[in-house]
Amino acid sequence: MPEVSPFLEPGPLTKVNSLAILQLSRDNLQPVYLKSPDDEHDGYAEGAVVNTRYGSFPHSTMIGVPWGSQIRASKVDTGSRGRKRKRQLDEDAGRDVASPNENENDNDNGHEVEARDAHGPAVSNAIKKAVADTSGFIHILPPIPEIWTMSLPHRTQVVYTPDYSYILHRLRARPGAVIIEAGAGSGSFTHAAARAVYNGYSTATSPRKGKVISFEYHEQRYHKMSVELSEHGLEEIVHLTHRDVYKDGFLLDGKSPEADAIFLDLPAPWDALHHLSRRRPAHGGDEAPWVSVLNPKRSAYVCTFSPCIEQVTKTVSAMRRLGWVDIEMVEIAHRKLHTARDRVGLNLAIDRGVNNSARDVDEAIARLAEIEDRFREHSRPKGGAGGSAAAGGDVDDMDEDEDDKAAVAAAEAPTNGDASSPASSSIPSWMDGRLVARGEAEIKTHTSYLVFAVLPREWTAEDEAAAAEKYPCSAAEKKIIGSMDKAARKKERRELLAAQQGNRKARRKARDEKMGEGAL
Amino acid sequence: MHSIIRPNAWVAVKLPSGITRVLQVAPNTTISLGKHGAFPANLILGRPYHLTFELEDKRPGETFSRLRAVPPSELYAEVFADEEAPSCSTPAPGTTEAVITAADGDEFSLVDADSGKVVVRSNNEAIDDSARQTLTQEEIEELKRDGNNAGKDVIAKLLLSHTALDQKTSFSLAKYKLLKTKKYIRRFQVLPIDVPNFSTWQLEERDASRILDLRAEMMGLVGCWGNVHYGGEDVYLDDPKATSEQGHEACPVVQEQLLKGRWLVVDDTCGLLVAALAERMGVLSPEETDSDDEADEKSEDKATDGAETAKDSAPTDENIKKEVVDGDEESKETTHQGSDTEMADAQDEDQKPRADAKPKHHRPRASDFAIPFSQTNTITVVHGASQPNLSFLNYWGFDVTSPNHPPHPLLNHLLTLTWLQLLKPELDTSYSTPPLTASSETLSSWKPSRRGNFHRKRRRYARIRHIVDTARAGNFSGLVCASTMDPISIMKHALPLLAGGAPVSIYSPTIEPLTALVDCFSVNRRTAWTSGAVPEIADKSNEELEHWAGTEQFPLNPTLLLGTSIQTSRARRWQVLPGRTHPLMTERGGSDGFIFTGWKAKPAEGKVAAKGKFKRRKLEDDSAPQSEAAETPA
Repeated sequence: MPEVSPFLEPGPLTKVNSLAILQLSRDNLQPVYLKSPDDEHDGYAEGAVVNTRYGSFPHSTMIGVPWGSQIRASKVDTGSRGRKRKRQLDEDAGRDVASPNENENDNDNGHEVEARDAHGPAVSNAIKKAVADTSGFIHILPPIPEIWTMSLPHRTQVVYTPDYSYILHRLRARPGAVIIEAGAGSGSFTHAAARAVYNGYSTATSPRKGKVISFEYHEQRYHKMSVELSEHGLEEIVHLTHRDVYKDGFLLDGKSPEADAIFLDLPAPWDALHHLSRRRPAHGGDEAPWVSVLNPKRSAYVCTFSPCIEQVTKTVSAMRRLGWVDIEMVEIAHRKLHTARDRVGLNLAIDRGVNNSARDVDEAIARLAEIEDRFREHSRPKGGAGGSAAAGGDVDDMDEDEDDKAAVAAAEAPTNGDASSPASSSIPSWMDGRLVARGEAEIKTHTSYLVFAVLPREWTAEDEAAAAEKYPCSAAEKKIIGSMDKAARKKERRELLAAQQGNRKARRKARDEKMGEGAL
Repeated sequence: MHSIIRPNAWVAVKLPSGITRVLQVAPNTTISLGKHGAFPANLILGRPYHLTFELEDKRPGETFSRLRAVPPSELYAEVFADEEAPSCSTPAPGTTEAVITAADGDEFSLVDADSGKVVVRSNNEAIDDSARQTLTQEEIEELKRDGNNAGKDVIAKLLLSHTALDQKTSFSLAKYKLLKTKKYIRRFQVLPIDVPNFSTWQLEERDASRILDLRAEMMGLVGCWGNVHYGGEDVYLDDPKATSEQGHEACPVVQEQLLKGRWLVVDDTCGLLVAALAERMGVLSPEETDSDDEADEKSEDKATDGAETAKDSAPTDENIKKEVVDGDEESKETTHQGSDTEMADAQDEDQKPRADAKPKHHRPRASDFAIPFSQTNTITVVHGASQPNLSFLNYWGFDVTSPNHPPHPLLNHLLTLTWLQLLKPELDTSYSTPPLTASSETLSSWKPSRRGNFHRKRRRYARIRHIVDTARAGNFSGLVCASTMDPISIMKHALPLLAGGAPVSIYSPTIEPLTALVDCFSVNRRTAWTSGAVPEIADKSNEELEHWAGTEQFPLNPTLLLGTSIQTSRARRWQVLPGRTHPLMTERGGSDGFIFTGWKAKPAEGKVAAKGKFKRRKLEDDSAPQSEAAETPA
């Protein structure tokens, strides 16, 4: 049995020559094939190294650790040769060049300084170049189709998690199913489908196992995908073929894969649909015997993925003519939500995410009253000094501006000296403010239209006759199930009660008999 | 899932009106579809799913309606006619060219009102109809009673006797016809009860609150983000072959290296979530063979097996200490004794002549302490009440409360325990009370019922012990929740049980509990935590911090989860008809449903200092930098 793909069974620890995904920052994921130090590499002393904007990470520090581990950038001392080279490389790339040891120290220093003063690190660091947001660690994550999808370089349009999760759910892609995918594209759907249908590797005793039969027309993408699949250990589960499915259909060497579900991510699904019939479609004039791609024993589920409504219209029309039923079109609207603490108030320190306006009406009134007070206080002596109304007005305006600033400054004064103010220090920043959730800055309003349909299995007159023989229909049915009218319900209830009484009587009788036996 | 409708299977019968009826197709019964008629259940048994059947008129001399499978060409006849028409939007003959004109205006409103109301309830329709429809209700009833060609005659007559039919536009005509078709056509479709069909029915026609408004798209997301999939071939622990004199020491110990592909689940959706996950893991319904007949025989075999094992295992004097045949069947003695359970009746029913082609293999009888559960590919359900509420699993033939269960894959793959057993097992009586022991002489002197109880209790003890110990051993492959409980409290206890990198996926019908949860992992909290601003954690090891009990300010250890986020998704359904394609006018409202996701992190030992150089001046907007900074806690 081949080794199970890390996508399906990552094991407890990271392994050599296996895929891992580095989480550099929240949405910045980088897939990496972990290599052992004696493997071919770029000439670093530690073997292969991942250079990121968060530091450099030799592969050796990431092998044999539990998944999800936090990896320090500076755990291993890099040899001077490696450092030199790395430095050179990094400088070329315009990255942080501090050696890991320095890095760690810097981290500590920088951090402590940072806590005191936001402007500190740039000055106190030994970094030669100003680099934004450097940090000393990353996390290592197991390859999961969702994480893989997030880390995908955008080759073609990617079928993202909200879409594929729904599609697989509706296609009934369960362990053991055979699913056809046409248009492998970036492989996002392929990986998720492989996970869904995987139920072990085929053996001599049970040859039929869950499989993804994937077709890709684009040659370059096909080659890239096949490399990827073997790297991911999925070649046993995903059968990738380079083919134009419009023309050549879905058979594998003339044999039927007996598919249970089909996902078509093609520009013209209607041109491929006739290959998915149970029997030769009316216009298919080919002489060769017709072999159906579908599992003859099950209903087949199909989903097409098309961005335009015209494609949908044509697809649905073709489906109707080919006998598909339960045709339904949906589109998925997915939203991510970010949470934040909304801090609103006049007396808050100026900080990111803080809205320095009045928290509520009371606060607004208090502030206005305060300003009024100051204004009155301030203007009284001036009013005494006299002057024209117009000039006085001008002066007032200016005064008000000044007062305003003064008031704000006064209000902020206590919070700027954070520790001294009891009010603000009692609530730490992570507890302060109203917890809110809001959508991300840009939402995907349309991915594609999904058309779902079902093709029931072939049902011939002979099948019907056989079934009729197996389940003969006499007029002797007594019980009614489903919705009943009142009379029928009453009748049934009466019968039920009678039967129960009968049961009870029978049981009592049986018990009496037994007791009689016992007595004997 | 089966390819054909089998006896006693749960199915969903979809009526043209869009109503679904879920029923168990018992053989030799009559299935009634209310006003659409009734038919013998045997007429759909053995037939494939998804076919559309039409109730035929009763044949002379027969007391029931026969069924006819409707070919798709007939189902879509209207649409094909529309497609072939030169232009779909041309008005029906007799109307003016422009579809929307002043003259047409009132016609539109009438029809709209008509259709709009009828969709909801039918009594209003009579009023509107009486204006235009010349057929009276009595006449329609009369028509329905006569043989009427599956309702098609009624529809045709209704259309014919509508006085204003010629004034309708093609849109309104199509709508009117569709409406009448929905009401009178005697067609139905039989769908299998799988998780998507069941949840749609439960959500839209039954009680959505019981499943926490868990829509299909959210179910798909929860399963995917939880990375729930087939967790490897079954591995069973060796039978310790414990004799009745051996107590606790003979129980098999947990072998952590064998535990793989296990998911921790908290389910307050009456078992729908468990069903969805079990379906993803391939343990919801018995595996099917390719051939129908084979499958048939197999299922019958299974039933008989169950029955026979139950009978075989009835205690005889020689065989006292090894009654269990299938390991998961309890109290066979009682079955044998009283035959007072429904199970016994069912078994009698199922006693059919079995195909002898397949030799029946007798498994050697397992001892009391044999663990029936697989070590891989399992679902561990933690529940708040003393019994788990997984009632919806009944639709897939699994009854969690049944002590004497016929074979079902969930029996070996579903482990349930209470929160008390998980967190304070010493307080749980069934876990902490040592098992009974007795010498074989004492045993044989007992009455069979007492003996049965003795073995039942010992088996129960071993099972609970195993479930609790494996659950507490942790290293779960993922956590999936759909619960009414506060997710923070769940996470507090579940997080330490997860393996590194294991995904967490929590569904909530409302967003508020999830925002509170995400906030526990906020950037500010992480920053404070890792920068040493929390004096409580100063000299604690990672191990201790993993089991962080929580304070008011830090309910959870904020460094234990990566990539925390909330998402929601909604499928919008469309009507696709030639020239009339648009999103559906109404859909279910209510709770939107949200999902929290993240991955378990293993923080490095000791203080991991990051050079969190927050360049605050440069930040333009709020959300993006925060997410960026989320991974750079200073």
